[in-house]
Amino acid sequence: MSDVNTARGVQRSLIGRLWRHKSARWAAAIILLLVVAAIFGPMLTSYTGSEQLDIVKLKNMPPSWHHPLGTDQYSRDLLTRVLLGARISLAVATLAVLMSMTVGTAYGLISGYAGGVVDSIMMRVLDGFLSIPRVLLLIAVLTLWNPVPLSGLIVLLGATGWFGVSRIVRTQTMTTRHVEFVDAARALGASDTRIVWRHLLPNIITPVIVTATLAVGNVIALEAGLSYLGVGAREPTPSWGSIFLDGVEFFAGNWWVVLFPGIAIVATVLAFNVLGDALRDVLDPRQLHGGPALPAGKPAPSSNANAPLTLGTDPIQNG
Amino acid sequence: MRKSTLVIIAAAVALAGCTSKESATSAGGGQAGGTVIMVTPGDAVEVFPPFVNDQVGRWVQDLVFERLADLKPGLVTKGDQGFAPRLAQKWTWAPDSLSIAFSLDPRARWHDGTPVTAQDVKYSLDIFKNPKVGSPVTPNITNIDSISVRDSLTAVAWFHKRKPEQFYDLAYQLMVMPKHVYDSIPPEQLHTSPTTRKLVGSGPFRFVSWQPGSRIEFIADTANYRGRPSLDRVIMTPGDPATGAAQLLAGQVDLVIAFPVDQVPKLDSSTVARSMIDPQLAYVFMAMNPHVAKSKTEPNPVFADIRVRRALSMAVDRVGMLHNVFGNDGILSHGPFPMAAGYADSTLRLPPFDTTAAKALLDSAGWRAGADGMRSKNGKPLRFSLMLPSSSLFRRRYGVLMQEQFRKVGAQVDLDVVDNPTMIRRLLDHDWDAELHAPGVDPSLTGEEQFWATRAIGANGQNFIPYSNPKVDALLDSAIATFDPAKSKGQSSRAFQMMIDDAPGIWLYDVTVYDGINRRITVPTPTISDWWMNLQNWSIPADKRIPRDRIGLAPAKP
Amino acid sequence: MRRRLAARLLQSLIVVIIVTTISFFVIRAAPGDPFSYDSPTITPAIRAHWRAQFGYDKPLPTQFARYAVSVAHGQLGYSFPMHEPVTEALAAAVPRTLLLAGLSLALSFVFGVIIGVIQATRRDGWFDRVSSAILLFFYSLPDFWGALMILLLFAYWWPILPAGNIVDPVLHDYMGTWDAFADRARHLVLPVLSFTLLTMAGITRYQRAAMLDTLPADYIRTARAKGLSERRIIWHHALRTALTPMVALLGLMLPALLGGALFVEKVFDWPGMGLLAANAISARDYDLVTATVIVGSIMVVIGNLAADLLHMALDPRVRE
Repeated sequence: MSDVNTARGVQRSLIGRLWRHKSARWAAAIILLLVVAAIFGPMLTSYTGSEQLDIVKLKNMPPSWHHPLGTDQYSRDLLTRVLLGARISLAVATLAVLMSMTVGTAYGLISGYAGGVVDSIMMRVLDGFLSIPRVLLLIAVLTLWNPVPLSGLIVLLGATGWFGVSRIVRTQTMTTRHVEFVDAARALGASDTRIVWRHLLPNIITPVIVTATLAVGNVIALEAGLSYLGVGAREPTPSWGSIFLDGVEFFAGNWWVVLFPGIAIVATVLAFNVLGDALRDVLDPRQLHGGPALPAGKPAPSSNANAPLTLGTDPIQNG
Repeated sequence: MRKSTLVIIAAAVALAGCTSKESATSAGGGQAGGTVIMVTPGDAVEVFPPFVNDQVGRWVQDLVFERLADLKPGLVTKGDQGFAPRLAQKWTWAPDSLSIAFSLDPRARWHDGTPVTAQDVKYSLDIFKNPKVGSPVTPNITNIDSISVRDSLTAVAWFHKRKPEQFYDLAYQLMVMPKHVYDSIPPEQLHTSPTTRKLVGSGPFRFVSWQPGSRIEFIADTANYRGRPSLDRVIMTPGDPATGAAQLLAGQVDLVIAFPVDQVPKLDSSTVARSMIDPQLAYVFMAMNPHVAKSKTEPNPVFADIRVRRALSMAVDRVGMLHNVFGNDGILSHGPFPMAAGYADSTLRLPPFDTTAAKALLDSAGWRAGADGMRSKNGKPLRFSLMLPSSSLFRRRYGVLMQEQFRKVGAQVDLDVVDNPTMIRRLLDHDWDAELHAPGVDPSLTGEEQFWATRAIGANGQNFIPYSNPKVDALLDSAIATFDPAKSKGQSSRAFQMMIDDAPGIWLYDVTVYDGINRRITVPTPTISDWWMNLQNWSIPADKRIPRDRIGLAPAKP
Repeated sequence: MRRRLAARLLQSLIVVIIVTTISFFVIRAAPGDPFSYDSPTITPAIRAHWRAQFGYDKPLPTQFARYAVSVAHGQLGYSFPMHEPVTEALAAAVPRTLLLAGLSLALSFVFGVIIGVIQATRRDGWFDRVSSAILLFFYSLPDFWGALMILLLFAYWWPILPAGNIVDPVLHDYMGTWDAFADRARHLVLPVLSFTLLTMAGITRYQRAAMLDTLPADYIRTARAKGLSERRIIWHHALRTALTPMVALLGLMLPALLGGALFVEKVFDWPGMGLLAANAISARDYDLVTATVIVGSIMVVIGNLAADLLHMALDPRVRE
């Protein structure tokens, strides 16, 4: 039980096994590259993302030596903006997912550990949340309280993204609650807090990590979609979605403004999905087949405890 | 037996065909026929005339309903010289000019066949003035006291005061509606009654149907007393201009209102469609709130100081922005008026584009630049929000351009791109710092007064900034009151120069709209001020017709 | 069994009530009300009059009580921007979304199951690798981006299909039966294609995994030992077992597709539930927004129920 039941053991085995997983190596490399680009990239180009170089002569320039990805209709350097966009998109998604994983894990742990009436009530409330279409809710709140600052967007994405993971955590908690070593710890007089912290959490963390990785990709796509609908990041903040929106409105002329942020979004989401799948392969020996995860913002897992789907890790709801 | 019956029927059909062909000859000559599909930038919000306050709604009402007289292209709103007879064949002024007797065209019929009478004119004014109806037009017709019915074809309008634009107030603002159709609905229920969505008018086109979000359909009023329109059918469908542009070039639609400016050159080389300039009476400026947001009294720390307002005016490259957004086809604003208006004046002095002077002026106003170049005064940063409607591509582009230009002189701008409902609510609540505003102006100076005069501040006026200068009020008043055109122009120009010097806003551009139109459509020289009111004279030559032009007047299958 | 069904129905009802309550109060917590938004030239007196006429001047609990009563009677309010009762607007939009989502889902299930089975039987072969990679790509496409690229490709750069809407908005009513049908079909192609591609990837991956779980099972080995043909074993015995969780998935996916439907409908201007909801939000059409959320949640709940029931019917282990 040594490796499986301590967080450090999980980490050590994880990195080694991931390294042996070929597609995971690729995905991790892409993500690392993105993070490096997001942090240092904007410093390497000679422009700032909001600088308008010459609004008459340099607008809508196709890719060239000086502007490898071209310029937009405001004569801003697109490469700089896409790099800055990586910063915004990655930061928004990571923070939002951190938030939803924390909230979801806590909710699921409490529900699963408490059991009984508390569990029933918490699950019914969760059913209610789960049946509100997330995209609709986000659009409604972002439109009605317009304009919502970036921090608000992060909180909203986080606050609407924890339902799926809390269900997974609850199921895991319920199965782990009565495993031998937990019973043993309880017999030795360990407090509830200690049991949860030392024994349950390390076992639950595995599916949470997988879910979180997949969720980062989904939230990036979702944020881009919201920006595309005009309710995401605000000018001149360049999120990939808002750069894309700029381009779409003039798509007859500027294919480069549509194409490059689009490629960035797809590559990033793809990398996170591949990594998530690989993590599942590596972390969850029961799930051998690069198991199923559902597309972003799509299906909901069944709402009751004896769910028909027993395909290993529960698919996440709506990212 | 059967054969001969057939022959007779065939002959009858042929005969009927002949007669219908004759009656199908349109007012403009030539054989009638043709379908025009218009892509409008949005759906109509309201179509019942007293409620109409949106552009598409206005197009709808002008196709279906009529005024007593039409405004001719010169846009002369003083007196009655600039007007052409419409529902009223002629009119007679009382010697004291406090009443005008309108003689209605005895041939005029509502689309249901009922004659148009003076009772209808009286009913229409009553509805437009009824406070329970809440018509946005009400403030424009306060000078009209009432309408009395002298006989079934003579309506007499009574005015409170003799004014140069009293004729315009009545003839242009009042749409005449059929009393017998709408009278049964209590005024406060007009807004939700299904009857007010089924329009019955006397105009060139009959209203067929409105499917919100999808289309509005009209067919020619073949029995119209002024001759039937040449076109058979007009269909308005709301759509995104970029999508509309592609559809127009593919021949799927015939007219795209507000064709994307960037793509106008495509029309010049197209064999399918061409561009058509669509003069607008609207100008756009950046309004600056002299008060703190949400307050009506506390001075705005940035905009209360005229030096800051002038410095900001000098910080923006108005010409460069015009070229960025409109290419070479934009119209630069020269002050608080649309350049197409009769009282426009392009010789007024505007603050020049001069960032050095702008910076110096901000320095002298106490706003000092910090290490990062951004300015502050007494620890407060030079920062404000700029509100823009998400629905306007032009204004969004201007917002982003201006944000960067203000940053270069040390002012930080937060863009609030909001949807129209939010924008209206925030204007009503005075919850804004700066805003890109496009006042829809009517062709007369009165429209300017309703936007800029001191007495237009408050619930019933449109002076939302609020801007107040008693000298400007007095000049505009006398410019409107005088019957002498030269004197009027001199006074209005002086008023505008004072306003420019007060710098309540930064004058940016005239709303320039290009429409894309299919080349098979013949558009004659306009005889009435607005193109859509000339739609009755549009035609499609028989040899250029395509299948959808030959649908005829038959109703759609159920 | 019956008691369990009753319990599930009760749970579903509670969920719908929770959702109704949340959406009612969320939208009313936003600044303003439907009458703050009309033209700025409308006087305060008129606004007050309308508020009174439609009950927006009452305290929130009273408004909620009135709303709850009217919802219980099947009345969902009046939509000002649509100029019609909310129920009529929904009655027009819901079938359109069901058509789009239903057709796409059917297609993605058929193709997803077939591809998934082939992948599983030839695990790690070239087909498995190539198709998995392609599907993973589609699976990673954000809904709006995938739909937009398809739109740009087939409606603008190579314009062979209409760019949007459910039928030709203008001429459809004047077409003959066959032309009208063809028109409808042409307008379906791009949205259905987008939707199918975006959902198929997930289904294929599920099917592949389910099939891989099934293939090593004892009865498959028995069947092989009996000398049944490999084709028969895979497409008959193994698929039947592997399809059971897929049937459950079908029920689960249908309702929650609403989120993806919103983007696809928005891009293709498809006047279904998603577009209706998005437009209602921007028009501050309170009654319509609340109603679309309620209908959306009812669809989710029905989908979950149907999935459970189907699963019970198909899988004896669950029934017991």
